[in-house]
Amino acid sequence: MPPIIRTHDLRKTFRSPKRRPGVSGALRTLFSRAYEEKVAVRDVTMELEPGELVGYIGPNGAGKSTTIKMLTGILVPTSGTIEVAGLVPHERRNDNARNIGVVFGQRSQLYWDLPLVESFELLRAIYSIPKDRYRENLQRFIEMLEMEPFLRTPVRQLSLGQRMRGDFAAAMLHNPRIVYLDEPTIGLDVVAKEAIREFVRHINQDRGTTIILTTHDLADVERLCRRIILIDKGTIIYDGTVDHIKEQYGTHRTLVLTLTEPHPNPVLEETEIESNDRGLVRYRFDRRRVRPDQLIREATERYELRDVSIEEPDLESIIRRIYVEGYEQEPVNS
Amino acid sequence: MRLEPYFEFAKKAFAREATYRLEVFTEIGSLIVRVYLLRSVWTALYAQNIAPMNLPLHSMITYATVALLMSLILEVDGTRLIREKLREGTIATDLMKPISVPFYFFSDGFGQTGLHALLVIPCILFALLLVHIDVPSAPVFAMFLLSFAVGYLLNFFVNFVMNAIAFWTLETFAIQLIVRWVSDLLSGQIIPLTFFPGVFGRIVFALPFAAIYSTPLLIYVGVIHPQDYGRYLLVQFLWLGLFSTLSLFMWRAAARRVVIQGG
Repeated sequence: MPPIIRTHDLRKTFRSPKRRPGVSGALRTLFSRAYEEKVAVRDVTMELEPGELVGYIGPNGAGKSTTIKMLTGILVPTSGTIEVAGLVPHERRNDNARNIGVVFGQRSQLYWDLPLVESFELLRAIYSIPKDRYRENLQRFIEMLEMEPFLRTPVRQLSLGQRMRGDFAAAMLHNPRIVYLDEPTIGLDVVAKEAIREFVRHINQDRGTTIILTTHDLADVERLCRRIILIDKGTIIYDGTVDHIKEQYGTHRTLVLTLTEPHPNPVLEETEIESNDRGLVRYRFDRRRVRPDQLIREATERYELRDVSIEEPDLESIIRRIYVEGYEQEPVNS
Repeated sequence: MRLEPYFEFAKKAFAREATYRLEVFTEIGSLIVRVYLLRSVWTALYAQNIAPMNLPLHSMITYATVALLMSLILEVDGTRLIREKLREGTIATDLMKPISVPFYFFSDGFGQTGLHALLVIPCILFALLLVHIDVPSAPVFAMFLLSFAVGYLLNFFVNFVMNAIAFWTLETFAIQLIVRWVSDLLSGQIIPLTFFPGVFGRIVFALPFAAIYSTPLLIYVGVIHPQDYGRYLLVQFLWLGLFSTLSLFMWRAAARRVVIQGG
């Protein structure tokens, strides 16, 4: 099957008037305009297969939202090509709109003054969803997202968790082929997050919907995505599986020992002590240079232990390292 | 174009307006007070013998009362939604839907005025208890309705242009306030434009504001004679054409700005 989303050397540059400091500067700005160019997205090339669920990750201001806006067709690229389900989004905004669903964690597409269910009815009219499919979808979503108790409540009175569930249902009612989720779990409690993740999984697996998930919550990504695209300063720095990046960067493990008697400096060969707090000692080691069982044997020989465990790095600590150090194909081990 | 979504927008706007019940009742209440006050003021002024040519007191009171009823519908700014959506940035979500956004604004405004149009009925009944209103012949009344409809559309586009300025300035309140004051005075809503003397009077008649209130009202009270209907309606349509074209251009430019600069 051909890719459902395809971008090639996609670039977006914003132009804003350059401001000079001070009163004289302000006056000069009034008469002569110098412009400042800021490249928000730089030569982004990506392809998504139908049915993929991809995490699109990057720090604030990396260009994630700008990319999403171009994919929805409300922002025109400065250069490069873009194709979503065979259409160029900004040239055929209305046709593209029928293929996509969008959820923004920070802003709602529901109608503020109306009961939740009336927003759904409005969307039925907007997308001309056949009546029986509408009823079927709505019933399904009400059950999955447990929306029955607040279906007739005006949206402005809903809690954030309830509103987000409403927004998810609203974005999926017309069976979009592609869904963009922009920070969908921001500010939600654990229960609401879990309900949303379950729903996303259903939409992706049971309906084969292609999903791009933008988030800062890497637990979302770890739970849902096989593939991630990392973007920083407008450029894609990694595109591949979560497993691969973990393999590549997860060369270090942490050995945690609980000593029976606290020890001022409980050294072990080939390790580095991260912390030592009243007998609870954390060691960092490279698993390619030393095997964990060797370390544990050495530890039991030298010290008296009450507990032993080994921690694997999670995606969050890996990504944090990449943000700080930059991504390299074969990371140098420190 | 499929019309169903736009019917729904209008219906939802109607329902939304109806949720503000207190506002609805205070509006009826304040209208009755204003009808009473206007009657007192005009009666007092006419007693001082300032009556202008060819507008007897009962016509004047009819004029003032009908103007008030019209304002129930015309003072609803259905396009303020544009300004709000720009400030909150929610215009982006509307652009991601398969709809024509300006037409959405129009149907929303239409739904809002729909509710206020219903309010006119109880208001007429109450007003009739306080004052006597002249009722014109059927053809004159039909002409009044036509002229009022054109005035309504023109009013929508004038508001649209005002609010669309928000695309560039984000804040249009001051401009709107000034335009409001000027138009209140120059549209004939409070004082018939026939009161304005000489050259000033001719200028006032040439402004777009006159095409919103003054023309339908003067048709209603019979100051504009049937042989002049064509001329006055032509002027109304010219203004309508001008402002709808201006609205279209402003919308195009604004939409371009959103898609190039990201709103």
